[in-house]
Amino acid sequence: MSGAANPVQPMCPCEGEDPEKLAQFEQRIAEGVHIEPGDWMPEAYRQGMLRMAEHHANSEIIGALPEGEWITRAPSLRRKLALTAKVQDEVGHGQMLYRVSQELGKSRDDMLRDLVMGKTKYHNCFNYPAPTWGDIAMIQWLIDGAAIMNQKTLADGAYGPYVRTMNRINMEEAFHFKSGEDMVLTLMSGTKLQKQMTQDAFDRWWAVSLMFFGPHDKPGAETMPAMRWRMKIEKNDSLRQRFVNRFAPAAKDLGLIINVCAKDEHGYVTSVREDEQCVRDEATGNWGFTDPDWDEFFRVIRGNGPCNAHRLNLRRFSHEQGDWVRRAGAHGTITTPPAA
Amino acid sequence: MSKRRHITYEFDGDLPEGTGDDAHWVVYTRKNAGGPARWAGYLDAVDVDLALQYSREHYGLDEACVGTLIHRHDAMTDSEYGLEPLSPASAKGDDGEPWVVFVQKGRGNIHIEAGLVHAPNARTAIARGIASFAGGKVTNVRVVLQADCHEAMQEDLAIWREHDLSYKYARGYSKDVRAKWRTFRDEADLEGYRAGDIKEHF
Ligand SMILES: [Fe+2]
Ligand SMILES: [Fe+2]
Repeated sequence: MSGAANPVQPMCPCEGEDPEKLAQFEQRIAEGVHIEPGDWMPEAYRQGMLRMAEHHANSEIIGALPEGEWITRAPSLRRKLALTAKVQDEVGHGQMLYRVSQELGKSRDDMLRDLVMGKTKYHNCFNYPAPTWGDIAMIQWLIDGAAIMNQKTLADGAYGPYVRTMNRINMEEAFHFKSGEDMVLTLMSGTKLQKQMTQDAFDRWWAVSLMFFGPHDKPGAETMPAMRWRMKIEKNDSLRQRFVNRFAPAAKDLGLIINVCAKDEHGYVTSVREDEQCVRDEATGNWGFTDPDWDEFFRVIRGNGPCNAHRLNLRRFSHEQGDWVRRAGAHGTITTPPAA
Repeated sequence: MSKRRHITYEFDGDLPEGTGDDAHWVVYTRKNAGGPARWAGYLDAVDVDLALQYSREHYGLDEACVGTLIHRHDAMTDSEYGLEPLSPASAKGDDGEPWVVFVQKGRGNIHIEAGLVHAPNARTAIARGIASFAGGKVTNVRVVLQADCHEAMQEDLAIWREHDLSYKYARGYSKDVRAKWRTFRDEADLEGYRAGDIKEHF
C-alpha cells in the first residue's frame, strides 16, 4: 500500500533558481514530459520528491507490520501464502522506493535511522490496531484499494524513476486489493459471527480510509508546486470522493452499515451511529459522507495514535537486531547477534 | 501468535552508528526464454551472490518470468536522456569487449534489453548501441559490460514456479470474486464497480 498523499509544499520554492532553467523545467512538465536522471530540476522539486518517495517507502515497510502479525494466524494455507506474499510485496515496495529516494540524495541508512528515531513520518493509517482477521480483510480491501486509487494517479506524475516504480508497484497492489475483496466477500457470505467481525472491522477502518487521502486541500492547491510540478496529480478531496463513490455502495451491497464511530485512545470503537449522509446524490452522482475526525488525524500524525509507539519501537527493535548483519556486510566484521 | 508482537519495546538514547549503504543493483526480468530482459527494479546487496538471491526471491517471484538479470548501478552508463528520440548514428566497428545494450522507448518508460555491441569503452558502446538499436525510436541507451551482468535462470532454483502461485496474482482471484459478487449484486452494478479496477493489471 502507500502513503504518498501529502508531499511537502515548499514555502518559497524557487528562490535563487536560474529563471531560464526554471521556465524550461516548468514548460516541460506542462507539456507532459517526464523528468529523467541528469535533467536539471529546482532544488525544491528534488527535496519535495525525496520527501514524498521517502514517506512512501517508510509507509510500505511500517505498513507490513500490522499485517505481518497475522501471518501465523491466517485461517487457511492459501490465505497464509497470500498474506506472506503480500507482506513481502510491501517490503519490496519499500526497497524500490528507498532506491528512488537514494537517487534524490539521501542514503538508505539515514532514511531507516530517521524513521526509527521519529524524524520522518509514515502513513497515519498504520498507527491503528488490527485485532481480528476482519481487520486484515479491511486493510487489503479499503487501504490497498485507496492506495491503488492514489498510486494510479501518481503513475501519471512527472518524475520518471518514481513513475516507473509506481507502475511496477500497482501491478502488485492489484493482487492485494483483489485478495482483500475476496476476503471481505467470503466473510460477508459467512456466519453471523463472521459478519459481525467484518462489520466491527469496517467500523474501525472506514474513517481511517477517508483520512488516507490527507486533509482537505488548501485553496489554490492546483497552482502550488506539488501539483504544478506534477508530483501530485489529483486533489485529496477529489480522490476521497472517488473512493467513497466506489466503496460506499459496495459496502452497502455487501450488507455492511456505514457508521460514524467514536473511538478510544486504543483505536477501538466506543459508539456508533449510522452515517445518514451516506446516500447518493442523484444530481451529481456523488455519495455523501461524514467527514472523519481531523483532530484525531493531526493527533495521530503528531505521534499520539493508538499504535505509533508500538510500530516504531518494533521497527527499531528489528533495525538493531539486524545491525550485526549490516556490519558484517559492510565491513566484514562478525559480531555476536544481540540477545532478543 | 508470538508474544513478541504484543511487547512494546522501550528504547532511549541514539541508535548504534550507521553502516552506510550496500552496493546498489539494477534488476531486470525475462518473461520468457530468449526474450529481452526488462527493467523491474532495484535492490541493495553487498555482493553478487546475495544480489542474485534477492533478485530471485523478490523480482523473480513477483511476476511470471523465467529469470532475472542484474548489474551494479555503477556499472551502467546511460546516454543523455533525449527530449526527442536520439538521432540515428552510424558508428560502426566490433573491436573491444561485449556490452549489453538496453533502450528506453520514451521518457518515463522502462529500459529493455536490445542486444550486444562490442566496444573498447562505454562512450563508443553507446554510439554503437544507438547505431544498432535506436532506430530513431528511443530516448535513452544504456550500456553495461556483459561481464558485469549476472543472470539467475530458472534451472538455478528447483522450486521456482513449479507450484501453484495463483494466490499471489490478482487474476488468481478474479473468477472467485466475480462469482461471490453475483450473490450480492446484479451484473450491471458489477460492471460499474469493476471499471474502477486498474484495467491493465487485472
Ligand atoms: Fe499493498
Ligand atoms: Fe505497497
